[in-house]
Amino acid sequence: MKVSCLQENLHKGLGLVARAVASRSTLPVLNNILIATDQGRLKLAATDLTIGITTWIGAQIEEEGATTVPSKLLGEFVNSLPPEKIDMQLNVRTQTLNLKCSRFESNIKGMDAQEFPPIPTAGPENKLKLDPDTLRAIISQVAFAAAADESRPVLTGVLAKFDDGKITLAAADGFRLSVRTGTVSEGKAGVTAIIIPARALIELSRMIGDEEEPIEVTITKNRNQAVFHTSSTELVTQLVEGNYPDVLSLVPKSHNTRTVVGTVDFVKAVKLASFFARDASNIIRMTIEPGTDLAPGRMIVRAESQEVGDQVGEIDATVDGPAIEVAFNAKYLSEMLAVVDAAQVAIETNAPEKPGVFKMVGSDEFVHVIMPMHVNR
Amino acid sequence: MTIKILPEALAAQIAAGEVIERPASVVKELIENAIDAGASEIRVEMRDGGKRLLRVSDNGSGIPSGEVELAFSHHATSKLNSVDDLFRITTLGFRGEALPSIAAVSQLAMLTRSADEPAGVELRLHGGRVTQREAHAAPRGTVITVENLFYNVPARLKFMKSSGSESGHINELVSRYALAYPAIRFSLTSESRLVFQSPGSGSMADVLVAVYGADTARQMVEVSAERSDAGEPGGQGRATAAVYGYLSNPALNRANRAHMVFFVNGRLVQDRSLTFSVVEAYHTLLQVGRFPLCVLKVSVPADEVDVNVHPSKAEVKFRHPGFVPIPALSLPDGADRQGEAPRLSFGQLGLEVQRTAAPLSPPDADDRLHGREWLYPPADSAPESGTSRPDVPPDERDAPLPILRVLGQVARTYIIAEGPEGIFLIDQHAAHERILYEKFRRERQALGASAQSLLEPLAVDLTPRQAVRLADRMAVFTEVGFQIEPFGGATYLLRAVPSIMAGSDPRQSFLTILDELAEEDEGRRVEHGGVIVADLTADGTESTADPLRQRREAMLIASVCKQAAIKAGRVLSLPEMQELIGQLEQSQSPRTCPHGRPTMVKLGLDQLAREFGRR
Ligand SMILES: Nc1ncnc2c1ncn2[C@@H]1O[C@H](COP(=O)(O)OP(=O)(O)O)[C@@H](O)[C@H]1O
Ligand SMILES: [Mg+2]
Repeated sequence: MKVSCLQENLHKGLGLVARAVASRSTLPVLNNILIATDQGRLKLAATDLTIGITTWIGAQIEEEGATTVPSKLLGEFVNSLPPEKIDMQLNVRTQTLNLKCSRFESNIKGMDAQEFPPIPTAGPENKLKLDPDTLRAIISQVAFAAAADESRPVLTGVLAKFDDGKITLAAADGFRLSVRTGTVSEGKAGVTAIIIPARALIELSRMIGDEEEPIEVTITKNRNQAVFHTSSTELVTQLVEGNYPDVLSLVPKSHNTRTVVGTVDFVKAVKLASFFARDASNIIRMTIEPGTDLAPGRMIVRAESQEVGDQVGEIDATVDGPAIEVAFNAKYLSEMLAVVDAAQVAIETNAPEKPGVFKMVGSDEFVHVIMPMHVNR
Repeated sequence: MTIKILPEALAAQIAAGEVIERPASVVKELIENAIDAGASEIRVEMRDGGKRLLRVSDNGSGIPSGEVELAFSHHATSKLNSVDDLFRITTLGFRGEALPSIAAVSQLAMLTRSADEPAGVELRLHGGRVTQREAHAAPRGTVITVENLFYNVPARLKFMKSSGSESGHINELVSRYALAYPAIRFSLTSESRLVFQSPGSGSMADVLVAVYGADTARQMVEVSAERSDAGEPGGQGRATAAVYGYLSNPALNRANRAHMVFFVNGRLVQDRSLTFSVVEAYHTLLQVGRFPLCVLKVSVPADEVDVNVHPSKAEVKFRHPGFVPIPALSLPDGADRQGEAPRLSFGQLGLEVQRTAAPLSPPDADDRLHGREWLYPPADSAPESGTSRPDVPPDERDAPLPILRVLGQVARTYIIAEGPEGIFLIDQHAAHERILYEKFRRERQALGASAQSLLEPLAVDLTPRQAVRLADRMAVFTEVGFQIEPFGGATYLLRAVPSIMAGSDPRQSFLTILDELAEEDEGRRVEHGGVIVADLTADGTESTADPLRQRREAMLIASVCKQAAIKAGRVLSLPEMQELIGQLEQSQSPRTCPHGRPTMVKLGLDQLAREFGRR
């Protein structure tokens, strides 16, 4: 193999695929990045066997070939090179990659590309297209609610439902549920629902950071992989097997009290209270009081800790329904608020021991359910 | 077979065997008599572990010359007049059995003079028969010399232990009485050598120094507790039961209960419920199988306790179990419940250790909460073999956790940190358990247990054993934040979990906790011979003062925190490790996890220097 490419391109490409490099694999080759010539371009790929990322960069190819080299060393090395042309040549016998850039030259020992596990690519199956902004938004509003704990594999995934030109993502960790619906720009999934590892979605949203072209999604025939394809990069993920619990039915259908508050006010109040909640089981109490003829409605956000003191914040609210007090985990509130993308948030409640439903005012695409806390005295 | 009346001498020997088993039992009876006689000085002498000779001298009331022989006849006592008195015993002796029993199996001489008589009496007995009596000049008080114990009972003689072992028992006995009666000067000589002496100053602390040495005594903390009749009908706020004594800092512990000394109404007793309660009070601060040192004097109204259980009087029976405020000598978070006996807590104890050993003031929750200077010693001084290591100076043992600088992580399990005098290896899981445990208890006391509801109730199938374990503890589970409902058969619905557990799989954690509690049950059965569990369960009213319940709650919280804690095998970033160590430094008991295992191992600079041959 003998190729040349620009340092910037190689650096960017390595950065993309490095995300999929296994962090602690017992399989040495998985610590490496595959470098191969591919139809006039240079292909870079990495996988940890759950997800795989492949990207293609422009290159001048003098001699076809492939090898794998340690990701960390190559990445750090290339990162430090000047922004000039890099010439790479592989010594096939020793599997040593020779790199020349400006007046620097190095030889990096690699491993045979034959040992690298093949990464599936999209076939001719059903494809659907999603707007990158929509995809980023729905991922950010859902994936954080998936369970972190590996003991419930299904819940570490995000449910993706395809239905009539719409995609719905849902994630739940047993204590909260986040649901977001988006529009499919084009095409059909060919399946009704899959479970995608939350981690793959988070990597995907990172990968499509500044992408403007629609993202192509393919679910492989045997339905155990999904491939996300941008103009130059592809992410393949293993899908989570199993049945996702019917979480959508857990969204309460009705409410007694609907409270609308300004997002900025709410975020501030929760943030201030959370400093005090830290030493008090993370409990934040919200007291909602409807307005009267004389005074507008309000929501009091409160946290008290025996040790550090207490904090009370009051924010204006439009309250429709009777007064209520309900307590939530500060972490759940702030994580939810961090992804809200609207000027106002609606809080729908029924009773202190019943779930709280959070929505963005002006959009019915986002529904977030948080289970309340209570205190046994 | 014909029924025969036993020859009198044989009958006396049999009876004697019930009271007198070994030289130490003679010493015990004679010391008690001297105490009953109001002595302020008691001298004990022995030869050959007491087998050859025992002599107990006192400066008490003495016996009027006309009653000396009477003292040696069965059921002769000056201390009990009627059956009713039996329920109001305030003296140590009351059976009138000791002197005749001892006399029956030895060669005995008594020299005694009462205050208002000019001369004393010397009486000699062989095998219980008087062989000589004469008037004799004598100081006020009584001297009893017992020689050749069991000389006429070969069966007993054969079973006597070595002199060393017998003298050890006597030594232990004398020092215990000295502890319980600090106003009396005790001394013990063996083969004419003085082996123990107490100052008779009236302070138990002084006797502790005499018994254990200053280093050990310094690690004992004075405690007291009282129950008053204030809350009871007709009560006038008087103390009806009191506990006073010393408990060891958890650092100071032993592999057995031999140094747990209890006196009830001045009587040395071995009482399982008291032992149990005290071990309870140490809670998670002691490793399983380790026991504290303690000397506790319990005073209860004479009619609250039955001492007439066994001839040796070593066992007592409390009329109302739980009457003694000891079982309430207990965990910090129960300390300020109203309407209950004042109780001690180790939070307080920690504070007291660093100040002076002054009597404890009433519980003060705030002091406890902020008393981070809990002076638990470095783990490396926690004695492995049952003896504390002599090369760790006690001052260092008492030092709080120093400020540690995190260096890194080993095997994704241990944090390495540097302190002023060495390297610390900290078990990340155990340390986090400790942090969470204290946080949980603190928050629970301040606010109550916070529960996080589940999105969807989880149906959990339990094995029959798990179901029993859960049923046993349902109230405790609820109290720490679980919400569990039976759902028919062996299925339960989990509706909420302690909020600290949000983030781990509730079902898995719940089942793991139930299984861990099994170990608790079984562990305890081994440790306490099962009897105490049964006893406590039998009269186990579900009151919050119930020590079993408190222990269960503590164990449950410990299990919950274990589930919530960072696991071994998790890579931690430097800031994460620094945060963890910072919080550990703030903990009251940073050196053990709630299950009593060490959180850290220290490699001292001294040790390093030795290992590298620099010293
Ligand atoms: N050291 C002593 N000083 C004064 N009186 C004693 C002493 N030892 C025994 N006595 C008298 O002898 C009696 C019998 O003693 P003992 O056999 O031990 O029975 P008890 O102590 O149960 O009354 C006692 O009640 C007491 O009057
Ligand atoms: Mg007596």
